Amino acid sequence: MILFISGGAKNGKSMKAQYLARYLAGNGGLYYLATMHPGDDEDLARIARHRREREGWGFTTVERFRDIGALRPEPGCYLLDSVTALLSNEMFPPEGFDPGAPRRVMAGLRRFLTAAEHAVVVSDAIGSDAAVYDSYTEAYRRGLAETERDICRYADVVAEACAGNFIVYKGALPK
Amino acid sequence: MHLIIGGAYQGKTEYAVAALGVPREEVCVCDLSREPDLSAACISHLERFVLRCMRQGRDPLTELHRTELESKVLICEDISCGVVPVDPELRAWREATGRFLCALNREAAQVTRVFCGLPLALKGGRGAEEFSR
Repeated sequence: MILFISGGAKNGKSMKAQYLARYLAGNGGLYYLATMHPGDDEDLARIARHRREREGWGFTTVERFRDIGALRPEPGCYLLDSVTALLSNEMFPPEGFDPGAPRRVMAGLRRFLTAAEHAVVVSDAIGSDAAVYDSYTEAYRRGLAETERDICRYADVVAEACAGNFIVYKGALPK
Repeated sequence: MHLIIGGAYQGKTEYAVAALGVPREEVCVCDLSREPDLSAACISHLERFVLRCMRQGRDPLTELHRTELESKVLICEDISCGVVPVDPELRAWREATGRFLCALNREAAQVTRVFCGLPLALKGGRGAEEFSR
C-alpha cells in the first residue's frame, strides 16, 4: 500500500506519517528514508530534531539523497520524507541546475514505491502562494507538482494535512 | 457556474477537460498582456485577469458579469497561502483574488478544489468521483 501525504508546513504531516508507517509495517521492517542533504547548521538541527522525534519508534534510517530508483526495497514499510528534498537534491546539485530532474525523480519514485511492500510518502504543498519566482524556482515548483501528481496516480491513499486534520482525496487512511 | 480552484500545476484544467468535458481548445487562458475572451465556455487563470483589471482600475467581477456566467467553468489559481508578499502590488493582488473567489463562490453551483490532480467537491458534489478513478 502506498500512502501519499502532502500539505503546508507544520500541519502534522511527519508525525502522522510515522504512525501510519509503523502501523503498515506490522511485524515487518520499518525504514526511514532520509532524503535531506544537510546544507547548513539549520539543516543539521532539523535532522537532529527529526531523529529525536523518531527515537524509540523502531525505524532503521536509510540515507538516500539521490537516485531513489536504484534502491531495492526490503519487505516492510518505508517512510519517505520528503519528495520536496529529493527533487531539490536532484534538480540543484553542486554542479548546477538540472531541468531533467523531475522526470528522473518521477520514474525513480515510481520504480521504488511500486516495488515496496508498503510506503508512506511525504511532500509539501507549495503551489498556493502569490509570490513571483525566478525561472529556476518556478521550474522546481512545476516539477514538484508534476512529481506529486504522478505519485497520486498510483498511490492508494492521498491526503492533505491541515492543522493536524487530514483531508482525504483518494482511498481511506488506515484507522 | 462551476468554479475550480487549486494551487499551481495541480491539474485544474485537466480536471475541467477530463471530468467536465470542456474541449481543451475552448479554454480561454487569461494573460496579463491581453484582454481575455470572456464569452468562452471555460476561462482559466482568472487570477491573472484579476491582476490585469487591478492595474487598469477595473473590477474583475463586474467585467466577468458582462457575459452570462451560469453555464461557465471558471478556473482560478489559489494564491492565498505562503508568506505575505513584500511587494505591495502582489499583496493587493492576493487580497483581490481572495475576495474575487469568495464572491464567485457565492454564485457558483459547484466549487471544486483540485489537489495533486485529485478533485475535492467543496460545494455541490458531482463529477469528482469518476475523475479520481
